[in-house]
Amino acid sequence: MTARGTPSRFLQSVLHNGVGRYVCQLKRISLIFSKKGQGSLGVRDFIEEGVVDFAKNNPGTVVYISPQSCRIPKIVAEYLNGNVKEETVTNKTSQEIVELITKLSNQSGLDIIRIRKPFHTDSPSIQGQWHPFTNRPPSIDPVGPQAK
Amino acid sequence: MSSFSRSAQQWATFARSWFLIDARMQPPGKIASMCSVRLQGKHKPIYHPMSDIGDHVVVMNTRHIAFSGNKWEQKVYSSHTGYPGSFKQLTAAQMHKKDPTAIIKLAVYGMLPKNLTRRTMMQRLHLFTDDVLPEDILENLTEELPQPREIPRKLSEYTQEECDAFPMLWTP
Repeated sequence: MTARGTPSRFLQSVLHNGVGRYVCQLKRISLIFSKKGQGSLGVRDFIEEGVVDFAKNNPGTVVYISPQSCRIPKIVAEYLNGNVKEETVTNKTSQEIVELITKLSNQSGLDIIRIRKPFHTDSPSIQGQWHPFTNRPPSIDPVGPQAK
Repeated sequence: MSSFSRSAQQWATFARSWFLIDARMQPPGKIASMCSVRLQGKHKPIYHPMSDIGDHVVVMNTRHIAFSGNKWEQKVYSSHTGYPGSFKQLTAAQMHKKDPTAIIKLAVYGMLPKNLTRRTMMQRLHLFTDDVLPEDILENLTEELPQPREIPRKLSEYTQEECDAFPMLWTP
């Protein structure tokens, strides 16, 4: 669709994250997979190798592993601002899942839609924004022919 | 002004002002160029041709404009309605007698950009033949612009002391 037909937002950060301390915006990550399906093979390999390291490196994120009987394995990422992102990981290798999970942990929870401007500032003007009376010499007399 | 909210600051920056110009003893071309600059909004640092940020301009005493040289007799305003035999040519003096605001109006019209915004800008130009202005326009005026031409004084306007103080250049 066109840019006008799809939603868009301005560039922003969640509560100026990173100016002071950095808080990882990924709240919870749930790995839903099946114990015996071929599609979940990559997920199962990831759980064997990489998930514990990931959980140790991201102490602020809760990792849930839920084996269920499901056809398609999913990774559900929930963020601090409430957004939930689901990714299906059928037939993905363990390496791909590692990359996917690092990508999800680096994202803030803001929507992935068109960003209107690649910049944003809270103080757009230092010397004060221009208005018609900025450089106008002050006058007490009323303006008009009567003043003559 | 930093205490303004965002909407108040936007309203202040894009506010439309009303300017007053006295055209007494002034060349109409210079008056028209001042008008066209302010009608387009080119005097503002936030100018953009697509954003409609021109101001209103009120010109008074258009009856008393002063062409330099022999333009009152030599400058010709031509018009043709398209029908055969309707080519009219008027000298500036005849045009001024017929309509005292027409000379400045045509000058400003020719100086504005030749696009669809020109008509809107002309609607924001207010011309008055004398210095009698309606009350609602008087209430809106914010600034009077200085006249472009310095009016030379007539001999009758000099005082006797100034005439005597003038140095004698030669004895006649």
